Amino acid sequence: MLERYKQQYIGKNIQFVFVDHDGTVRESDQTIFHFHTGSPIAEVHPFFETLSFLEGIQENELSFNCVHLEVGDNEHIVDIRIVGQEAGLLMVIIDHTQYYQEYQTVAQARNESIIKAELIVLKNKELEERERFKNRFIQNFSHELRNPLTGIVSITNILSATHLNVQQQQLLDFLKEANTDLKSMLEDILSISMMASGKLTLKEKAFKLSNLLELLEFTYGNKAKNKGLQFLVDTDERLPEFVEGDRLRLYQVLTNLLENAIKYTESGTVSLTVDVNQKRANKVSLHFEVSDTGMGISPENHELVFESFSRLDRYDNKGGVGIGLSIVKGLLELMGSQIKMESRLGKGTRLYFDLVLKYPLHSIAKSLIKTEGNIVENTVSKRDKKYRLLLVEDDERVQMALFKILADTEHFYIELTNDGARVIEEVINNDYDLILMDVNLPNASGDHLTNIIRELPFDKVCDVPIIGITANAFDEDIKRYLRAGMNQVITKPFEAHKLLEAVFKYLRQ
Amino acid sequence: MQKSKKIVILGHFGVGKTSLIRRFVKNSFSDKYKVTIGVHISKKVVGFGSGETISMILWDLEGTDDIRMIRNPYLLGTHGAFFVFDVNRPSTFQNIQEDLAVLSKKMPEVPLLIIGNKVDLVNQDDLNILLKENDISFDFLTSAKTGEWVEDAFLQMATLLKDA
Repeated sequence: MLERYKQQYIGKNIQFVFVDHDGTVRESDQTIFHFHTGSPIAEVHPFFETLSFLEGIQENELSFNCVHLEVGDNEHIVDIRIVGQEAGLLMVIIDHTQYYQEYQTVAQARNESIIKAELIVLKNKELEERERFKNRFIQNFSHELRNPLTGIVSITNILSATHLNVQQQQLLDFLKEANTDLKSMLEDILSISMMASGKLTLKEKAFKLSNLLELLEFTYGNKAKNKGLQFLVDTDERLPEFVEGDRLRLYQVLTNLLENAIKYTESGTVSLTVDVNQKRANKVSLHFEVSDTGMGISPENHELVFESFSRLDRYDNKGGVGIGLSIVKGLLELMGSQIKMESRLGKGTRLYFDLVLKYPLHSIAKSLIKTEGNIVENTVSKRDKKYRLLLVEDDERVQMALFKILADTEHFYIELTNDGARVIEEVINNDYDLILMDVNLPNASGDHLTNIIRELPFDKVCDVPIIGITANAFDEDIKRYLRAGMNQVITKPFEAHKLLEAVFKYLRQ
Repeated sequence: MQKSKKIVILGHFGVGKTSLIRRFVKNSFSDKYKVTIGVHISKKVVGFGSGETISMILWDLEGTDDIRMIRNPYLLGTHGAFFVFDVNRPSTFQNIQEDLAVLSKKMPEVPLLIIGNKVDLVNQDDLNILLKENDISFDFLTSAKTGEWVEDAFLQMATLLKDA
């Protein structure tokens, strides 16, 4: 009885086939597939064509699981057991199609998700690599620009101190303005790449907020006036006189916002408003806002304007590289703030952010702030002796600028070398009061040379003040040069008064 | 008399083993990925200039990320083998030397050809760098999608097995 019931279930799933030693089908119960008795089994399916290695197998059993067999229109996924018998081979074919199909669905999902995850990781890696390449390129490129720019800025400054007629003075003013634009563009591009590579750090110190706002009012008041625009600055009376933060980066944020506002406004007003949200303990929350009556931005482009190099098409004739708002966004995020925008096409744009800054007591802040120009002037005028200075610089434009700045003070005998390999010999054989050393030199690096000088066994020589000059503006580079033994590092392009201030700081009176 | 030769196609999952066989046997291609479970067996008869033919029985084995897990009965009686990797997925070729060592232990003296597949998805320069950086030796770089070098790889195997 049980056998009969069992057959209803198992009988349909298992087929028995007997094949003789010649590979001919002798018997088949045809439960799953139809095998012609008397025909070679190799003709049934290629699977059986490859079983020649089983010749001679006796009383052994082999199992092949999950074999896809297609015989005529009949397709099943089966396990095949082959058992060696005296007269040939017994094949037991068990149909597991349903089970294997379910397994296939699971395997499909698993494999697809693994492959997808792998490809995402690879894609991310590729994007990161591209980003790194882009940043490296920008950093190298801006580094290369610093030398010629140093020459241009310095020579322009030197020229402006000479006797010029009105026309020459006008031309020089244009040149100065172009220099400033070029310098700020270079800083912006470098900032973008530094932010992207996480190398940008804030340098917080006390500064006079009103000075910063006055500078902006003066600069952009003139720019707006030249374009026939009205420029309004509205500041809260409760603004603290001094605040503590990264003055340069705040200046960069506001100049980018104001530059854009003036650039994209053809008529009407550009305004800068600074309000106090609240003051608590020694912190103040300030609300900065730049608004214009310009062309505005359509809602679908609101996000786009904050991406690097994504200047909207309709702005194409406006110049610039389209990184201003991207810098603003990145810098504010670094300062723990967020830029917000409201804009209507044809009506104008309002960009605003809140920024929390520390504000020190008036007396403390004042003592933290130096008036740089005066220091130099006082220091220089007090000296009556001449110093021997070694200038190690290979770029002719920078050489010329440095030469002129130093020679104009009439305090130096300057010797020049442009070859790193000769520096040590010069230092040992001469009694210099100070060395101005470029970092990137032919045949040697300035930091390496400094290191060697500091290790020299001659007291006076190894203590000579060394001021590094570099186009590598990253903090990590500057720290490395200081560790090598440089007393101070100045980045290119530099202002004349900053250079002199550093030089006189280390000269013995 | 026509010889039958069993050829197994091995490699990690998703490298395009089934697509290579489909391209060679049916000269077709599908972008849709369907996981192979167990084994699919196909056949193609290849003729030579001498008039000689061999029947290539191609065992398309389920892909695995651990080559040691292949069921041994599948490999019994193998005459030739392909190891396929995906040039776009490092996980499929990162351990290629170990994988090949396992295979030569499981199938000593069986001719084995190495195929880097899906070259249509990668730039030739990037591919050269990748192969050099990973120190990968290969016999064929193929694309089942475009058919590039697919037939050549299988015919090379047929030639190797003709006189064996």
